Amino acid sequence: MSYCVNCGVELEPSLVSCPLCNTAVINPNELPFLKKPSPYPEEKGQVEVVNRKDWAILLSVVCVATALTCGLLNFLVFNESAWSLLVVGVCIIVWVAAIPATLCPKLPIYVSLLADGIAISLYLYLITFVTHSDHWFFALALPIVILIFCIAELFALLERKVAHAFLTTAIYLFGSISILCVGIEILIDRFLGNPISLSWSAVVLTVCVIIEITLITILSSRRFRNAIRRRLHF
Amino acid sequence: MTSQKNDKTERKEWYKLDLSAIVYPTLQRKDFSSVYRLSVVLKEPIQPDILQQAVDIALKRFPTYKAAIHKGLFWRYLEPNTRPGPFVQPDIKNPCMPMPFKANNHYLIRIYYHRCRIALEAHHSLGDGTGGMCVLQTITAVYLRLLGHEISCGGFVLDVNEKPDPEELEDAYLRYANAKVRPPRPGEKTYRVRGTKEPFYTLNIIDGILSVKEVAAVASKYNATITEYLNACLLYALMQKQENEWHRKLRPVKIAMPVNLRRFFPSKTLRNFITMVYPSIDPRLGEYTFEEIITQVHYYMRYYINNKFLRGDITTNAATQQNPVIRIVPLFIKDFVVRFFYTKVQDKNSSAGLTNMGAIKVPENMKPFIERFDIYMGQPFSSRTNCAIASFEDILTINFASSIKEADIERLFFCKLIKDGIHVKIESNRETEF
Repeated sequence: MSYCVNCGVELEPSLVSCPLCNTAVINPNELPFLKKPSPYPEEKGQVEVVNRKDWAILLSVVCVATALTCGLLNFLVFNESAWSLLVVGVCIIVWVAAIPATLCPKLPIYVSLLADGIAISLYLYLITFVTHSDHWFFALALPIVILIFCIAELFALLERKVAHAFLTTAIYLFGSISILCVGIEILIDRFLGNPISLSWSAVVLTVCVIIEITLITILSSRRFRNAIRRRLHF
Repeated sequence: MTSQKNDKTERKEWYKLDLSAIVYPTLQRKDFSSVYRLSVVLKEPIQPDILQQAVDIALKRFPTYKAAIHKGLFWRYLEPNTRPGPFVQPDIKNPCMPMPFKANNHYLIRIYYHRCRIALEAHHSLGDGTGGMCVLQTITAVYLRLLGHEISCGGFVLDVNEKPDPEELEDAYLRYANAKVRPPRPGEKTYRVRGTKEPFYTLNIIDGILSVKEVAAVASKYNATITEYLNACLLYALMQKQENEWHRKLRPVKIAMPVNLRRFFPSKTLRNFITMVYPSIDPRLGEYTFEEIITQVHYYMRYYINNKFLRGDITTNAATQQNPVIRIVPLFIKDFVVRFFYTKVQDKNSSAGLTNMGAIKVPENMKPFIERFDIYMGQPFSSRTNCAIASFEDILTINFASSIKEADIERLFFCKLIKDGIHVKIESNRETEF
């Protein structure tokens, strides 16, 4: 039986310090290496996962039904062009985007982003059947999708693995915006056959660099950082 | 109130949420649910398979606890839940976890076991501590019967072979909300305990185990009841904590204390039938000694806790719900307004919570199997501490639950008891550093 020398309360035998004042328990009559079992369980619980299987089934049925009925309508009635492919593409995008949230919430974000990228690329490729040309797809649309996908994956990786404070997230965000704008302008120039030169994206890049420098300065000074945190807390 | 849908093959009942229960689901967040916990410590280790049988048998008697919550256009409601469960599970270190409505087969109760302990966690939208205690004690009685012991019904133990009495399922507030005036709600900003928030999934518990006789003797020295004395101790601890911190201006120290209305208005309801009173002191008026605090609490209780004032309080609360304009507002707007009001006004109206379930009665032939009862008010909505008190025979347990690292309130509270000559034994799930 041990008592806290500071508070005067009797302490349950498994306690190694007083939970009220954190004073260590030193009882010469008890062997320190013999840990007594706590009256509380050791295992921590996790909140139960909400089962959204019904929603996933409903969404899948609606997407398949929409795609099939529009396909039939296109084939039997309005058959001037293959417009139903656009509807099918939208159904695929909606399904791919919603499935991680409904059926497999534990799916890694990187895999979800990859699936989204593939679905969007597929949709754009389906458009080529309607427009009867695929040059724009391979030369412009697909590279832009790949660029956005790479930036999104990098952003997710930095958010998950590196520090993810509010200010750090802002640095990643502005960095991503500047890279994206520069990349898009280069790809457009390449597509149009113009010499590669930066114009509007240079303005975006400049603004982003100014914001990035400001944020890095704030982050590097603890005093600054705390002042901003106090003012922006919500 | 129960509405019934007649069908040739099936009679499906549903239950409107009672007056208090309307608020709790609106406060639901990813990291917060209004969940409370009641537990009983038996004298022998629990057998999980027998406990599961006992739960299956006993829960049929409590249709409002074997229920799922659903959203209507204007209000939420409870519907009988026929899904498998609820299943008993090994206890965890962090009780009163958030309870998503659509997880756990849509059940709003959890039953845990650990060594000799059976614990029931219930969402407050189903009922209050008295209702929960009926469920827990009935499950325990059925469990003991399945082990071959003779346990009689009575008190909190209901007969599982009887059909539920309609009065057990009623919203008792509406029966008594008939005062001719509606006293205004208190709405003053009070002292808020500041602390370092623990990470998600952490609920810090500190249990104090005391002797009822010792506490009663000290309380009677101050000419107070046990509840008044413990209330005064908590106010004293909060006042000291505020004094020890730097504040631009002092604020009143107030405790939110639920009162069991069944004591004043006869009802067998197993749903919520409580109202809040707020014993307080105002340090801006001058320094209070402990004797002055206890006198203040004593007279506050005498003045406010009677059927006249409580009826007025119920009427004020019921008036909002019965207002025809409010009734036709869609649920999502109600949710937004209630959450905003609770966060900005109601939550700031008290510095800590304290509930005393008093001496818990069990049938005579069940007493030899029970060691003690524990109750926890659950995770606080904001960074503060909640205190729940219950006693069984000569064991009085004071259970503090908080989501902050600091345990200053608990320390000041128990130190006051020690100074008054009461022996306190402490148990805790906090991770200690040595």
